[in-house]
Amino acid sequence: MEAVVQGLGLLLEPTNIALILGGVVIGVLVGALPGLSSPMAIALLIPFTIQFEPVPAISMMAALYCAGTFGGSITAILINAPGAPPAAATALDGYPMAKKGQPGRALGLATVSSVTGGIFSLVIFIFAAPLLASVALEFRPPEYFALAVFALSMLASMSGRSSLRNLISGAVGVLIGTIGVHLTTGVERFTFDIPELTEGIHFVPVLIGLFALGEMLNQSQALDSAFERIRATATKLPSLKELKELKYTILRSSGLGTFIGILPAEGSTVAAIMGYNEAKRWSKKKEEFGTGTPEGIVGPEAANNAAAGGAMVPTLALGIPGSGSTALILAALIMHGFRPGPYLINETPEFIYAIFGAMMVANIGFLAIGLAGAKVFSLVTFIPNRLLWPAVFTFSMIGSYSYGASMFDVWVMLISGIVGFLMLRHGFAPAPLVMGLILGKLVEETFSQSMIIYDNNFLRLFESPIVLMFFAFTLLSLSSPLWGLFRQRRATAKEGT
Amino acid sequence: MPNEAEKAGDMEGARSAGPAARLIHPVDAGLALIIWALVAWLYYETTQFEEVSFLFSQNVPPQMFPRILLILIALLALAMPFEHLLLKRKGKDIDKGRRVPVKGIAWITIVALVGIVAAAPLLGTLLTMVAICLVIPLLWGERRLQIILPFAVIFPLCIAFLFNIVLGVFFDPGVVGLSIR
Repeated sequence: MEAVVQGLGLLLEPTNIALILGGVVIGVLVGALPGLSSPMAIALLIPFTIQFEPVPAISMMAALYCAGTFGGSITAILINAPGAPPAAATALDGYPMAKKGQPGRALGLATVSSVTGGIFSLVIFIFAAPLLASVALEFRPPEYFALAVFALSMLASMSGRSSLRNLISGAVGVLIGTIGVHLTTGVERFTFDIPELTEGIHFVPVLIGLFALGEMLNQSQALDSAFERIRATATKLPSLKELKELKYTILRSSGLGTFIGILPAEGSTVAAIMGYNEAKRWSKKKEEFGTGTPEGIVGPEAANNAAAGGAMVPTLALGIPGSGSTALILAALIMHGFRPGPYLINETPEFIYAIFGAMMVANIGFLAIGLAGAKVFSLVTFIPNRLLWPAVFTFSMIGSYSYGASMFDVWVMLISGIVGFLMLRHGFAPAPLVMGLILGKLVEETFSQSMIIYDNNFLRLFESPIVLMFFAFTLLSLSSPLWGLFRQRRATAKEGT
Repeated sequence: MPNEAEKAGDMEGARSAGPAARLIHPVDAGLALIIWALVAWLYYETTQFEEVSFLFSQNVPPQMFPRILLILIALLALAMPFEHLLLKRKGKDIDKGRRVPVKGIAWITIVALVGIVAAAPLLGTLLTMVAICLVIPLLWGERRLQIILPFAVIFPLCIAFLFNIVLGVFFDPGVVGLSIR
């Protein structure tokens, strides 16, 4: 408790608070604008913050990270172009709700659930950090592999026209992740003598292409449709009755998001998709998912913000990044002379609590922005489509370019967008491909490590009870579409009799 | 009154309702063939990876994981032509999004974007943004020059200010930019 008080003392200086709020504003802006991402903004922030003291520097990045996760939901809801990867799942129901004429309600649900998820994960951290960190420490490569496979299997029950096509998309995403130099042997794979491919394909340009350009090409075919320009009203807070109905979904997603976030290398995007899937799985109105149901918004939003808090735990306590953004925060910590890992939490616990205090302030900050400022962001929907989408593409192009300062990434974005647009027509949703791409490296790395540990004997993976548990979940997840069909047939048979 | 798109959908639906389509979905069969062809080509590529000894690769050669994935994709694609039967039972329509052909404007947009991005080394980053903001609205039927022209100038300048001046991202001046200098 003494460390908590000391940490808050470090934090509560006017300059630090101003920098945190600055990080929140930049984060919401960056998160809201398609093409800009939190990792890119954090990367660009590192050279600026290196001259600051460690607490304000890392606090500002952590605040940007939290707010960026929330900011993505604004454009996910209003223009179906998630500004940040974790908001992809929010678009599935947020955009349909906005299209139905309730953008203020969708933004209100996203804001409240985001703040709840974020604060939930921080409270859990403060009271249970050592315990949670020790649980994550128990995970070895086989457990990570099983977890990543389970996350990929969840694609079968994701939104979309077809579970089979979701799985194919996910596998293609993982395959794209294998492009580049093989880590163990240094052998080039699928590089086709293109030098830029030796480093592999960054997922940010692919994501921008699939979501922003794919949507732009869709919109080009429906320029005069009435639903495209969503006139947002002021953010509408959910009523107490509505919150009462949604409380279990929010709490479940907050818990799930915190857990997923704490697991090293699993980030907000995985949490959001799992939050969405779990909200659907537990819902009494499963058929309404994808049409603008509140549960489809609060599920992923609570989970992705909870995961943003959770992902900082392995980053700071174990030195293992929980996501792309936290990997950059980890790099910034090293630049400030810290040695992330168990030593950091043991020797300077007040520093850790100061960072989490900053994230708490950030959550309150984006609550205010979400309630008062979302209407300002919603003005983007009043711009004519014939100007809005070229502007979105310009952002996407510069966002992809800035990520690696390379035109190659722009081409990756362009090709991903065109392929994604055509794939979507045939029922291949873009989100599973992105999921596969993000998890791909983890799956291969942990698979290789497991094979080395078990001397190339795959069956020995099942010696671990955690692996068994995750594989059991995987089987359940993969069979869920068949179970759904079986239940439907049984219900039809009952009706017939 | 059904619109053109719905009529087109009905016609395609009627075509796909033939005896051959009852078991195998023709469009999905075509897609599966494309996927298998790609898988076969990529599998062949894995045979071209540099050879490394098992000792060096620690029993996990570089081609092992991609091959597992390619086999998995091929197996999943096997079920694609028949998937419509399962989806029909679940009340899902796999053809919903593809009955209407892609409109010409989408292809024109793709060609325009590819052309502008290909010209980026010549135009430089700033002029490429200007070209996008000028060409795409015009292609999409916006004719109010009093809106397009300020948009095509002011918006890219704002982006350049944010990224180039504030965030320090290098903007390639391009051949045109260098010539002006």
